[in-house]
Amino acid sequence: MKIVIRMLSIATIILWIVILFFSVTAVYSVMNLGINVGEVQMLPSSNGITFSLPFSITNNGYYELADLNLTTRVTDPNGTVLDLTETVVPSIPRGTTVNTSHTIPIDLDAILSMNHVALLLNDSSFNVEIFAGLNFARAVPVQLSTNATIPWGAPFAHFFIGRISVSPHNSTHSEATIPVSFENHAIIDITGTLKLEFYNNSNEQIASGMANINTPSQQSYADSLLVYTRQQDISKLTSSGNMHIIFETPVFVVEWWEQYG
Amino acid sequence: MAELNAKLILEKAMPRVLKATVWGALNFFVVYYLPMMLYPTDILPFDYATQLIQFATISVFFAVVGQLFSGTIIGCGFGIARALVIIAYFFAVSDGGVFSVTLPVTEVTVNLAVDISILLLMIVSVNLLSIAKNLLEAITLLTEKSTDIDLP
Repeated sequence: MKIVIRMLSIATIILWIVILFFSVTAVYSVMNLGINVGEVQMLPSSNGITFSLPFSITNNGYYELADLNLTTRVTDPNGTVLDLTETVVPSIPRGTTVNTSHTIPIDLDAILSMNHVALLLNDSSFNVEIFAGLNFARAVPVQLSTNATIPWGAPFAHFFIGRISVSPHNSTHSEATIPVSFENHAIIDITGTLKLEFYNNSNEQIASGMANINTPSQQSYADSLLVYTRQQDISKLTSSGNMHIIFETPVFVVEWWEQYG
Repeated sequence: MAELNAKLILEKAMPRVLKATVWGALNFFVVYYLPMMLYPTDILPFDYATQLIQFATISVFFAVVGQLFSGTIIGCGFGIARALVIIAYFFAVSDGGVFSVTLPVTEVTVNLAVDISILLLMIVSVNLLSIAKNLLEAITLLTEKSTDIDLP
């Protein structure tokens, strides 16, 4: 019996030493981790915007970091998921540095096809939820989570249609002058064709016209669009009505309705 | 009679008290002072001093009473109690094996969750071994007592 008790005592001491050793070296290893997170960069891409988060991890500890997983979920103010992106680093052995970046592509065409016209006209913010997980020494899973807000600049902020003036153009047509202004708060330049379709208060199309616009980022646009209509349709023009606005670029097409008058 | 009592105290109790004091001080040094020296509270981004002092109190108390009553049934009982208290304490502190903390980092709040289930399992295993050891010690003590023959 005494031998058994002695063996149990020895086993207990050894296990306590193992636990103590692992705890001390684990804390030391965590303290020697070098995590550098760069600035979030917003870059224009072929089909929208790309958010890029560069980061590097230097593992100067005693243990391997495995299954590093960085997941971001971008939602609009209503909670609709706009993007879900995952970056996985399978292993960071001890004494090594991993440089990588987490890239979140925002496909503007996809977003605008989801009827997010409000994002075109009003500045807003995206909610970004960040989840990070890793397996420390393949024994201790660690999870980090946080959320941040990214401001969104509307490309057609403060879109305004001024007072429409009509004047005769020739014997068959009249000319309507429509003052249009907006501010491009987006980080991308607005280049494309702006098409306007006039509807009176009976929802009859009176006229249409278009203009090429090129408004750099953070610049304002203010110009008058000329629209031509047949003389016989002028009488159908009412003091108020709706305007169908279609903006076309090589990447995306958006359309929305505004009231005039 | 008084002389006999003084002799008993000097021979039996004093060495135990001295040993218990040394063990208590050593435990306090290893469990509280050494970690605080190696990892001061300002190094890690959360306050762990409270948990450490609680654990140090448990360790020192059981180290002292363990030494005071070593070789007795009461000592074995304290040994078992220490193992159970340590298991319960680690379960409570680690919230069942998943240690969660909220850290304010610049303008955002980061939620950190560390799954220390394996470490907890090791601690539970060690303490179960300790319980087994103390039970066997208690059985041995009782067996020795019951087989002692008092000759006239």
